[in-house]
Amino acid sequence: MDNKKSSARTILAHVVLIILAFLCLFFFYILIINATRSHAQLQLGFSALPGSSLIDNFKSVINDPAIPILKGIQNSLLVSGCCAAIVTYFSALTAYGIYAYDFKLKRAAFTFIMAILVMPTQVTALGFLRLITGMGLDDSLLPLIIPSIASPAVFYFMHSYMQSSLPKELIEAARIDGSREFGTFNRIVLPIMKPAIAVQAIFTFVGSWNNYFIPALVITSKHKQTLPIMIATLRGADYMNFDMGKIYMMITIAIVPIIIIYLLLSKFIVEGVTLGGVKE
Amino acid sequence: MATLNLKGITKIYPHSGEQKKAKKGQPEKKTNLQVTDEGVIAVQKFSLDIADNEFIVLVGPSGCGKSTTLRMVAGLEEISGGELYIDGKRVNDVEPKNRDIAMVFQSYALYPHMTVYENMAFPLKLRKMDRDEIDRRVREAAETLDITQYLDRKPKALSGGQRQRVAIGRAIVREPKVLLMDEPLSNLDAKLRNQMRAEIIKLRQKIHTTFMYVTHDQTEAMTLGDRIVIMKDGYIQQIGTPQEVFDHPANIFVAGFIGMPQMNFFNARLTAEGGKYFVSVGGCKVELSAEKSKNLAARKVQSQDITLGVRPSHMVLAKEAGNTLSATVEVSEMMGSEVHFHANADGKDVVIIVPTMDSNGVHIDSFHPGDKLNLTFSSNVCHMFGQNGENLEF
Repeated sequence: MDNKKSSARTILAHVVLIILAFLCLFFFYILIINATRSHAQLQLGFSALPGSSLIDNFKSVINDPAIPILKGIQNSLLVSGCCAAIVTYFSALTAYGIYAYDFKLKRAAFTFIMAILVMPTQVTALGFLRLITGMGLDDSLLPLIIPSIASPAVFYFMHSYMQSSLPKELIEAARIDGSREFGTFNRIVLPIMKPAIAVQAIFTFVGSWNNYFIPALVITSKHKQTLPIMIATLRGADYMNFDMGKIYMMITIAIVPIIIIYLLLSKFIVEGVTLGGVKE
Repeated sequence: MATLNLKGITKIYPHSGEQKKAKKGQPEKKTNLQVTDEGVIAVQKFSLDIADNEFIVLVGPSGCGKSTTLRMVAGLEEISGGELYIDGKRVNDVEPKNRDIAMVFQSYALYPHMTVYENMAFPLKLRKMDRDEIDRRVREAAETLDITQYLDRKPKALSGGQRQRVAIGRAIVREPKVLLMDEPLSNLDAKLRNQMRAEIIKLRQKIHTTFMYVTHDQTEAMTLGDRIVIMKDGYIQQIGTPQEVFDHPANIFVAGFIGMPQMNFFNARLTAEGGKYFVSVGGCKVELSAEKSKNLAARKVQSQDITLGVRPSHMVLAKEAGNTLSATVEVSEMMGSEVHFHANADGKDVVIIVPTMDSNGVHIDSFHPGDKLNLTFSSNVCHMFGQNGENLEF
């Protein structure tokens, strides 16, 4: 009786999971299928079978002088990569400062950082735009990268991770062993934070890769555009007269780097490096 | 190796906003630490001169300030008052890394991302030592601690005992002036703890350095220490060799803390009659030995109510009732070579240790719960404490 019950549960669970997996992956499937079909084929309606225009579509995307897609990929990679690197390093550094040291107003500092978390980007966008224009940084990639140094959400994640995985004894041991404070952070704390850094690097990279709002406000010249702006420009064109296969191909190209980055970093998420260093 | 002098070291933890708030709602205190306007006093005027190469053990119940004292020596806690000298040099404001000390933590505190070799080489690398010298020292320490075969492993691949050896290895490669150990064996199981204790004794013979060791385990304190410092509520209770603190406890706390099972305490009456001293407890009156009487007379001790302390192994079973204290057996614990009887005498719990055999191998009659015992005690090995808890003899 119990066996029957549990096998029914297993079947039900699998059915639900299969439906969810289908819902998640089906759109990627359509995207990739559509990227292999020509504009004419696409006009005919939906088909689950791949077409034969994969290479044609790819060529027309790469060779279009109106959309410098390679430059766009390069810009996006630069912005997202730098953002991921600095956001994780500086957030970990800030979190370490709050976690490891005792100073007056420590709690106040923590609360202040958390308060920034509730502030939406849209609210500060106008001021931000005026600021960077005043600094002469408009139409430049720098304003897309530098503000990511201050990220309350990543800070909070790092702080929580330190509370669970970074015993203060390790810091004290390093101090006694003769390590300077900054050296302790770079040599001891950062390697232990690796899983947290990997997780946040992925999230930041994806977030920055897909970010449209701020780049659309800041970037004006074509050769500095990031991928989301380019895709948006395409959408803005009259789609009846545009090659839809080309659009699908471009979107496919846009998601490939994210999939690669995720596959590269996902093993760090699972790997618990602190295991065994300190007995609980 | 070095001398270590602590002169009136005090640690005060200032009140934080929350503690003050908590006080209003909850008047109960978790510890008996003295609280002043400045804050909670965790360590009170700790003075101790530690000789070169000496092994000092700080022992006491949790919250007594022993770890705080050690951390102040290490430089991990600020010293609120008093002076600390290492090798005659005042180091109150010197950073931990410049004090030339090493520390072993209870939690091992090994760097999880480094191999055993890297863990041990880390402090030497930071001192910019050349590579050959680092290699020589690490291998030598690994040899001493018998962990050479694990040098390429990460800490997570080691057992608790092995990890603690690596932690000790990391401390001794530097050949520090003072080696500090904060309950290094507390995370190990009983068997491993005994083994590691013996290892530490051996290690001590091999390396020459001054040790300061914190534990709450009196067995560790007795077996390892040249001298023991017993602490309670931030105050030093007694400093002495293991034999001294066992034989001549300075007060009731030390008497109760050192020795397993705990010393038995009785409410008794000390009477001085014509240059002789007598202790009477229950129906039992015993004349004190000449030596004890001399000690008491020298301090001009008058007749008074006292607390009498007698160790379980010093209780004597009398064959017949008479000048004895009667007790009822409640529990008997068979330990193999001896039996521990928990008995009720005069409303007090008393523990008596009786060997199971005499020297000829003949079994001694045992007792069962409910049996009556007639107890007395030797006048040479009893301890008398005055109303303030201090030992009256010293």
